[in-house]
Amino acid sequence: MVEKSELLQFLRGRTENDILSLADQREAASRFNCSLRDIEEIALSHSILPRRYQRNGLDPVRQLLLFHAKVAIIGCGGLGGRVSDLLARMGVGSLFLTDPDTFNETNLNRQNFCTTETLGRYKVEVVAQELKKINPILNVTMTKGRFSEPSVSVADLIVDGLDSIGDRHHLSQLCKKHSRPLIHAAVNKWYGQIGIEQLDTELISQLFPLETQALTAPHVLSPTVALLAAMQAAEVGKLILGQDSPLTAAWLHCDLLNCEYTLF
Amino acid sequence: MQVQVKLFAFFREGRFKEEGRELADNTMVGQVVDDLGIDREEVGVLMINSRHCQFETVLQQNDILAIFPVIGGG
Repeated sequence: MVEKSELLQFLRGRTENDILSLADQREAASRFNCSLRDIEEIALSHSILPRRYQRNGLDPVRQLLLFHAKVAIIGCGGLGGRVSDLLARMGVGSLFLTDPDTFNETNLNRQNFCTTETLGRYKVEVVAQELKKINPILNVTMTKGRFSEPSVSVADLIVDGLDSIGDRHHLSQLCKKHSRPLIHAAVNKWYGQIGIEQLDTELISQLFPLETQALTAPHVLSPTVALLAAMQAAEVGKLILGQDSPLTAAWLHCDLLNCEYTLF
Repeated sequence: MQVQVKLFAFFREGRFKEEGRELADNTMVGQVVDDLGIDREEVGVLMINSRHCQFETVLQQNDILAIFPVIGGG
């Protein structure tokens, strides 16, 4: 069992302006026989900021809010894969990834973790593996399959990375049942939309009035998916940090071709 | 009656961004969609004067009708 005061003394001895390097975190983990995740939690709880977060510009209290947050990524393709990457870099501490598919060649144009080397592998496996390389303190839980009720109830916030309308209606219902905010985005060609559905708001049923509508495989350009994923990650961060967002009361239509961004 | 029609995303391709239309009284939204050669299955959000509406909603003089395609990729 870690002697916390001794560990804290070690960490304080290694900090420079309350900033702690990765090398010192690793040394502390090894010397005190605990995980990097433990080190990060103790550091942030005592106003010490790991250097990796220095450029976030968030104080340790807010960084600790991100550390304790649990975010479910439902669908780990274009949107979900990139949202995961951004959240891992911001310092969100727990991600729950759900996706039934493997990477195929048509994913190479836009899915950040799809490379010629990861073709054929399960998306959640590849994403989880790469996220741990980005931020080893990350707690990643994988579900290799379709989402279900536990995929939603396990997290504080739900990110919609789906590509079917029926699934989106189902996810919306589960989020309402468990009072979880749903951060929705969708893309097609140069166009995208984003909004947040909460218990007392209707978004999915308004954007997709026909539940049974079948989509042909949409065309999606990589800048469109990157932009909308970045917006989703920003909204997740804002919700965790208690920042208000216009997207709880309106949805944003994004037209990258005409550079039109309109709230409705 | 005069109605302003706004199209969004790829519904603009080969059509227009915004256009005034002279319509018969009691024209429904769905009729405008059909006349534009837009497949109803491709339609997502429909709005009149920034409020959600349906294919069956009857248009009024000076309404602004907005038609969005379903955007569903992920």
